[in-house]
Amino acid sequence: MTEEHLLKGWEEFEPGATLFSFEGKPDQEVHHENNSVQHSVADWRVDKPVHNKEFCIDCQFCWVYCPDTSIIPDVDDKGKGIFGHIDYKHCKGCGICVDVCPTNPKSLLMFADHLPVEEALRQWPEKEEKK
Amino acid sequence: MSEMKQIKNLKQFSTSKERFQGGHRLCPGCSHSIIVREFVNATDDELCVSTATGCLEVCSTIYPYTSWDVSWIHIGFENAAAAISGVEAMHKSLKNNKKSFSDKPMKFIAFAGDGGTYDIGFQSLSGAAERGHDFIYVCLDNEGYMNTGGQRSSSTPIGGATTTSPAGKVSYGEKKLKKDMMQIMAAHGCEYVAQSAPSNWKDMVKKAQKSFAASGPVYINAVSPCPTEWKFDPSMSMEISKVMVESRVVPLYEIENGSKVTVNYKPKNHVPVEEYLGMQGRFKHLFKPSNKHVIEEWQKNVDAKWEYLLRREEAGI
Amino acid sequence: MEQNRIVWDGNMAASQAMRQAKIDVVAAYPITPSTPIVQNYSQFVADGDVDGEFVMVESEHSAMSACVGAASAGGRVATATSSQGYALMIEVLYQASGMRLPIVLNAVNRALAAPLNIHGDHSDMYLGRDAGWINMVANNPQEVYDLNLCAFKIAEDYSVRLPVAVNQDGFLVSHTTEALNYLPDDEAYKFIGDYKPHNPMLDPEKPVTYGAQTEGEWHYEHKMRHEHAMYNSFGVIEKVLAEYKELSGREYKFVETYQVDDAEEIIICMGSVAGTTQLAVDKLRAEGKKVGLVSVRLWRPFPKEELAKYLGKTKTITVLDRSAPLGSTGALYNEVAAVMVDNGYNAVLLNYVYGLGGRDMTIDHLTEIFNSAKECSDAGKRVKPLIQTINLRGKELSFY
Ligand code: SF4
Ligand code: SF4
Repeated sequence: MTEEHLLKGWEEFEPGATLFSFEGKPDQEVHHENNSVQHSVADWRVDKPVHNKEFCIDCQFCWVYCPDTSIIPDVDDKGKGIFGHIDYKHCKGCGICVDVCPTNPKSLLMFADHLPVEEALRQWPEKEEKK
Repeated sequence: MSEMKQIKNLKQFSTSKERFQGGHRLCPGCSHSIIVREFVNATDDELCVSTATGCLEVCSTIYPYTSWDVSWIHIGFENAAAAISGVEAMHKSLKNNKKSFSDKPMKFIAFAGDGGTYDIGFQSLSGAAERGHDFIYVCLDNEGYMNTGGQRSSSTPIGGATTTSPAGKVSYGEKKLKKDMMQIMAAHGCEYVAQSAPSNWKDMVKKAQKSFAASGPVYINAVSPCPTEWKFDPSMSMEISKVMVESRVVPLYEIENGSKVTVNYKPKNHVPVEEYLGMQGRFKHLFKPSNKHVIEEWQKNVDAKWEYLLRREEAGI
Repeated sequence: MEQNRIVWDGNMAASQAMRQAKIDVVAAYPITPSTPIVQNYSQFVADGDVDGEFVMVESEHSAMSACVGAASAGGRVATATSSQGYALMIEVLYQASGMRLPIVLNAVNRALAAPLNIHGDHSDMYLGRDAGWINMVANNPQEVYDLNLCAFKIAEDYSVRLPVAVNQDGFLVSHTTEALNYLPDDEAYKFIGDYKPHNPMLDPEKPVTYGAQTEGEWHYEHKMRHEHAMYNSFGVIEKVLAEYKELSGREYKFVETYQVDDAEEIIICMGSVAGTTQLAVDKLRAEGKKVGLVSVRLWRPFPKEELAKYLGKTKTITVLDRSAPLGSTGALYNEVAAVMVDNGYNAVLLNYVYGLGGRDMTIDHLTEIFNSAKECSDAGKRVKPLIQTINLRGKELSFY
């Protein structure tokens, strides 16, 4: 779906159909209205990943392997990257983050998109015995 | 000269400023964006990127949105290398004549699929590499024309079923072996040529950083498992990538200055090719008794290639 | 303005103008008959006469691709080509104009194969007709030089930002030396001015995306913005040509005319044949015949209004097309015919397909064409075939 406010008349577009990443200077980190970060792809998702911080070891595998830049890290007081939150506006529910999560039980699991996060956490499985 | 960005582990890497944003339209589980992020986030230098027509291009810049936080250009399918060579030439020209827009270090990357690299963009890549532009060419190799519905390319491996090399009553799919772009680009005398897989982020980031440090043309073959056309579950992209590496289907190796081969990773356990093939719908037909010989041929080829690389590494040539 | 007099061919005239423009990047590939431009420029590089980068690419497709990359990066860019090379570039010519990049292309016009032919006709220029470039036509080396300087200034104007092709006839202009006047280097550069960047990729303070995909809700608007820029360029072209006249004393118009005021038969053409036609007009005028010439300088955007001024009173108009239309009337004819209809003019119209692959067109041939037109004028209607050939061996060939 196209956001209505971007549907301008021909005379209002930038010549050459160029697009800009930022509003102002890049170091101000304000993304332009034409940056895809403004665009939701949440409706692509059937299942969603849910994060359980109880088991998370902040390894950041989920961050590096997420194809949709949807694991948004935080920085701890030592300046190190830790798990922050899931960006549900851009997550497409591929499940890679769950697959690469190394903990036992996993700190990320897929649940039906409509299930509330609290409910998902209540359903979290126990540690799996190694066979 | 630019400082090499310190990336010792993911805790450090994940503090990087993100340069490729979400909201793009690549399929769920697509490896392309994983590779792109591993690459462009591995430097703090300014970047100019060109991209050939293909999945990455189409999905990351569908008007009115761009997913790129760096300058980016797409012209056509066959000219990602020529395009970035023009950008790089302008950078050099302005710098030499003291007309640069900025003193910040600037790097130049072209991303293209295997169609835009092995096939239609081959001449443009060869030309730009021969001319010695300071650019990095990253092939996102998913072994076919996936943006148009999965047709064969000269990167499609033997036995692979695509929409133009389908398996049928009398055919086991693709008949030709995959073209060896690594050797071809090494023969161009590129300063640095390397193959990597996204599931090994460390290998990819290391190779990205070596690329950024190089001053001549660089070629990176990054294998990019494609859930949609290889036919596997989107959550499995990194598993497939791992098995590609472990089964030696995709050796992680590099060729420096046109000849010096180093195999960067040597799997300890022997994972048969059969296991890799069995994970994907595109090879399903190979498991019919009449096609067993193709799997045997696969294994033979993989072993021979691995052997060849080890011997070259040992010989130092 | 004090000017230097020198003998150059069309290729050298283009090369020298490119040198004076201080281009930041030239990416080029040699092809006859534009090869000398690429060679001359290589020599300028070898002698340190130019400061920019010269990228000797592996094909014309890559030449224009590198030009597009370089122009998006943010600097002055130019190249040259002909014929098959032009055809190989064509995909990227559309990209250059759609991205609104002010690249200057010296198109040394030559026939398109098959059969292969290295000599001049307008097949390549016609091929690029709808590619969204401003197209100017230079009929001799002096014009090649002058129009090149103007081309940079027009292309780079903020309200235009479109690529410009300067066309010249292969061999007939490109390899024919003539005495001409050129400006001192600093005056030529001052006229063009410093390059004014617009959304350069190389500015890290404003990352920009070039070449996005515009589907249903967007494409039409962007194309019409391009269309609007094309029409908008008339004013800028006029202004630049006027400034150039002020500086050099040489005047250029959208359409050049000769003896048209009272002319009953007019020939309309493009390129070097205009010079020969002018001689034919002189000869026939001396015999008391009321003939005239219109030479179209601006091929795109097409100067309909300007052309209309000269076509209202004449009896017969003969349009010369130097390219085989292969199934219709010639491209220039069609433009002229449209102007006639738009304005309710009703002179007799004739179309000649001539000069293919460099075939000669002499004063005698042009005299024959004027005479044929005169028969129509006298009859008050077309008594000749619509599409005719001239200087073609074999049985007389005409259509309609
Ligand atoms: S499910 Fe896929 S898209 Fe969503 S956060 Fe996990 S890896 Fe990213
Ligand atoms: S992969 Fe799992 S353990 Fe590692 S940071 Fe992500 S959620 Fe935490």
